[in-house]
Amino acid sequence: MIEYLLAFFGSFFAAILFNVSKKNLLWAGFSGMAGWIAYDCFFSQTGNTAMATFAGAIAVGVFSEFMARKIKVPATIFSVSGIFPIVPGISAYNTVQAIVENNLAIAGAKAVETITGAGALAFGIMTVTAVFRVFSKKNKLFWHASK
Amino acid sequence: MNTHQIANIAVKAGELLLKSGAEIYRVEDTITRICRSYGLECETFVLPTGIFISASNALKHEIVSYTKRIRARTVNLQIIEMVNTFSRNLENKVLSYEEAASELGRIQSLLVYKNWQRLLASSIASFCFTLLIRGSVYDGIAAFASGMLIFFLREFMGRAGMFMFFDYFLSGTAAGMFAFLVRGFVPSLDLYKIVIGSIMMLLPGVAITNSIKDALYGDLVASVARFGEALLMVSALGAGVGFGITLLLELT
Repeated sequence: MIEYLLAFFGSFFAAILFNVSKKNLLWAGFSGMAGWIAYDCFFSQTGNTAMATFAGAIAVGVFSEFMARKIKVPATIFSVSGIFPIVPGISAYNTVQAIVENNLAIAGAKAVETITGAGALAFGIMTVTAVFRVFSKKNKLFWHASK
Repeated sequence: MNTHQIANIAVKAGELLLKSGAEIYRVEDTITRICRSYGLECETFVLPTGIFISASNALKHEIVSYTKRIRARTVNLQIIEMVNTFSRNLENKVLSYEEAASELGRIQSLLVYKNWQRLLASSIASFCFTLLIRGSVYDGIAAFASGMLIFFLREFMGRAGMFMFFDYFLSGTAAGMFAFLVRGFVPSLDLYKIVIGSIMMLLPGVAITNSIKDALYGDLVASVARFGEALLMVSALGAGVGFGITLLLELT
């Protein structure tokens, strides 16, 4: 439970560093919390980081698209802040750390883990974007869809 | 408003977006949309490092082309939001050149948060991320201080105008050294959790996500460039951390 709050505040304060306007800050925080809840549920069930990241990204994407339509701002604002808790930063960092320590076998494994995580993240958000675009009333471009 | 001025406004809006970390399709879409709302036909090609546009009026009497080189990119979501609103409003109500230019100037110079607010945000975010990767509260407090240090360092380097990746290297070094020194005084702390928590804000999450989004929208050149950028950032950070820690290990 406390982790959900941490994810909320992590995204909230990350959003400040990214200059998200004050009226959207709270929603940016909730976006991060939604992502972390999904990530956490999947991770504790399957133990698979990539799957968990994908689920987290889907949650962040759905939340962002809904909020974008509700308060009429680009969805990026919520998705960029919201993915922060689930960005595969730790494995990216571990990769380089292993290279620095000349541990190339570990570096390779961690690099694959990083790329998988980053891919899962992006494809999760893309999936949501694509689905929302198909079902939006205007069905022209993503940009118009957030009108 | 003549063709030159319209193209100028469109390029300016695109430049603001690209410098603030928007995706390529968003930049191209905005430029095309601004030109269209003034009745111009326009073709645009955008890379992370530059904007090329060629616009013509309906009768093709006049064709203008612009090239705008983009050097520094940051993440500023407020600007993306405001340029989005700006270009959407243009479709409904056309502004004069002076009005549009001053509106874009206002967006560019807008400061949402004061420096102490951003400093505090950086520190608290470091604290939160350290606890999120299951560090103890004490690790979190160390990361809080480290986040503050890195923020000061980056502010200073931003003013001094260092090169792009070198500031990442130095931030990593500072984080590694700081965590190592703190652990020297309090041995129960977890070195790596402090480091990861405090450099979490510097990881190129936006660059990686944008890279794959660009690829999915067909902007392959931009995608590969962004991936390379992200790779360089992570390498600079990691090398910095490794350098800082190894240096202190050798010295002690």
